[in-house]
Amino acid sequence: MMPALTIQRFWANWLVWMLMLLSAGLGALFVVALEHLTDARWSVPLRRTAERVSGLVVPGSVAALVALFSLKVLYPWARPEAVTMPLVMAKAGWLNIPFFIARTLVCVALWLLSWKVLAGGSLKQDESRALVWTLRLRRFSPFFLVVMGLTTLVVAFDWISSLEPEWYSDVIGVYLFSGMFLAGLSAVVLAVSHLIEKGRLPQVRFDHLYNLGAWMFAFTVFWSYIAFAQYLLMWYADLPEEVYWYQQRSHGPWRGLCLVLALAHFVIPFFALVPQDAKGDLKRLKRVAVLVLAAHFLDLYWLVFPVLGDRPLFSWPELSFACFFVGLAVLWVRRSMSQGADMPVGDPFLEEGLAFKL
Amino acid sequence: MTENIFGVVGLFEDPAALLKAVPLVQSKRLGKLEAYTPYPVHGLPGVLGLSRSPLGGMVLVMGALGTLTAFLFQWWMNSVDYPLVVGGKDPSSWQAFVPIMFEVTVLFAAFTAGLGMLLLLNRLPDLWHPFLLSKSCAEVTRDKFALSIEAESGSLDVAAAQAILRQAGALSVEVVAFPAPASKVSLNALLALSAAGALTCALAGAGMYGAVKLFPVLPPMSHMLVQPRLDAQQRGMRPPVAGTVARGRMPYLGALGNPLPRTKAVLELGRKVFSNNCLICHGPLANGTPILTAAYGAKPANLQAKKFLSYTDGEIYHAIMHGKNAMPALGLGFTEDERWAVVHYVRALQRAQHAQDTDLP
Repeated sequence: MMPALTIQRFWANWLVWMLMLLSAGLGALFVVALEHLTDARWSVPLRRTAERVSGLVVPGSVAALVALFSLKVLYPWARPEAVTMPLVMAKAGWLNIPFFIARTLVCVALWLLSWKVLAGGSLKQDESRALVWTLRLRRFSPFFLVVMGLTTLVVAFDWISSLEPEWYSDVIGVYLFSGMFLAGLSAVVLAVSHLIEKGRLPQVRFDHLYNLGAWMFAFTVFWSYIAFAQYLLMWYADLPEEVYWYQQRSHGPWRGLCLVLALAHFVIPFFALVPQDAKGDLKRLKRVAVLVLAAHFLDLYWLVFPVLGDRPLFSWPELSFACFFVGLAVLWVRRSMSQGADMPVGDPFLEEGLAFKL
Repeated sequence: MTENIFGVVGLFEDPAALLKAVPLVQSKRLGKLEAYTPYPVHGLPGVLGLSRSPLGGMVLVMGALGTLTAFLFQWWMNSVDYPLVVGGKDPSSWQAFVPIMFEVTVLFAAFTAGLGMLLLLNRLPDLWHPFLLSKSCAEVTRDKFALSIEAESGSLDVAAAQAILRQAGALSVEVVAFPAPASKVSLNALLALSAAGALTCALAGAGMYGAVKLFPVLPPMSHMLVQPRLDAQQRGMRPPVAGTVARGRMPYLGALGNPLPRTKAVLELGRKVFSNNCLICHGPLANGTPILTAAYGAKPANLQAKKFLSYTDGEIYHAIMHGKNAMPALGLGFTEDERWAVVHYVRALQRAQHAQDTDLP
């Protein structure tokens, strides 16, 4: 194997797993912010778990900073031959290395700030029991909504779209967001089920889990809707600079991956979660969460890896990366689980949240 | 007296009181229990022991049926019955079917959910339900929650029912009778309904008139090609490559003469197409004596005239394809083979009217 490809392959793997960490972390942080935004009661007993999972934005941010070294390896616009591509030169105002680094730094700062405020504030309330924290977090959450929206868009444009800088899609940000929220929800479901099995969340019932399941169900459909809308428009318009992207991702060996993606990201989770009782069934939710996380990985793999060549690469390097990053994420969340209370004990609405009935 | 009793209704302050009262009242087994509430109360179906509604299953089945209907519908129309190539895509492209499949799934599922719940399962509208005429009903439409013990097979221990509802904490207890039979729609109600209908029509008309008067009519987009978006993109969909041949339309490249052999089958095909399309104006002998003389003002050509006898096959073909004088272009309605078959048949008709000695057997 050529050494150049090995370096590219390393960074492609790195990129996918950096996006996985950010997906789980930011998705979980979005779950936290949603509670403050919508004045929800059902999620109060689960919020601490979501806050702990959202800690994954820290290793995700570090991975993003490290990934800045991949620019010249993975991104054609960062290499000298970009001057030969007129469409890329037209985008040079956005796609240039200093601005790219600046954007990444701003994104990382905003993520860490949001995590510090939302997760840290809740921890401080545990000690002080002051009502003022509830108000502060509630006022901060709309700001995080904007941060989440804009930074997801920037990540999608910068780290994913610009792998093939001549291609563009307006909806890729929403596409990434829907997958991130699903991944965040799934990670929260797995963490919650771990705590329930250890007997650490004794008062969490069917009614609480049902809402998590309903979110997963809804966003399974949302992801499929966005994914298909993007495909349908490009397939119909058949513009050369757009359609080649799908051409290389839906032919040859990639065709099978497309089918697996459709099954694992939509058909199976959809039908697994259709029955009313399934949405609050912990065992079923856990299986669906594992499937959805795997599907989100495949989704990112399908977005990134076709730039390396016509054939999907999946072998020891990919497995090693998977082991390393899954292990890192599990250890990271487990470590935060060993500190502090399992529920936001300082939250004035915890009682109401525990008594929540559908 | 008791035959006329529908049931005994107790009113409760809030959902919690209602939920608490049900088990106590249920334990006496006086009659059928039913609850009337201003909004769906969670947990009530469980306490009342109602079985799971079949609506979810019905919606799933009908939704799947909607998907299938929309798929088969489009697939049959677009790729079997009338295949049209749009934008260079295969007529049976599944991608184009998906939005309609999604819509029809939602349509079928939503209608099943709405109508199945209202008409099939709840048997609404039920305008003469005895409860509707009770005082308690008026309270339920405001902010109270009612629990009723209803007579089963015409008998109910009214006194016991009143006692148990009071014991369960009812604010008030009412005995509800069946309404007098044959309650008719009153004349006043009919008049009010007609007046309301007339008023609605008048208001709608006045509103429409005002809207058209006040706001200028927006010109509709007359043609897809003059839309601003096309210019913004500097092109529409990709034009086909030069020399592209449409599916199923192989042209007779450079054919000047009739490419079809003069066989019986070809002449029969020509006769069929001629009779169905040409005969009505040119006449059965193609001599310009039409069937539609009186109704149709124009004078169709006499194909037996000398001018047309000297036409080449190609000239006749061209007239079919592009029309001539008042004759419209008819060619696109037929296949290439059908057009050439008609040319053969017209030649045969001409020969029949101008037979030569050599034609005798």
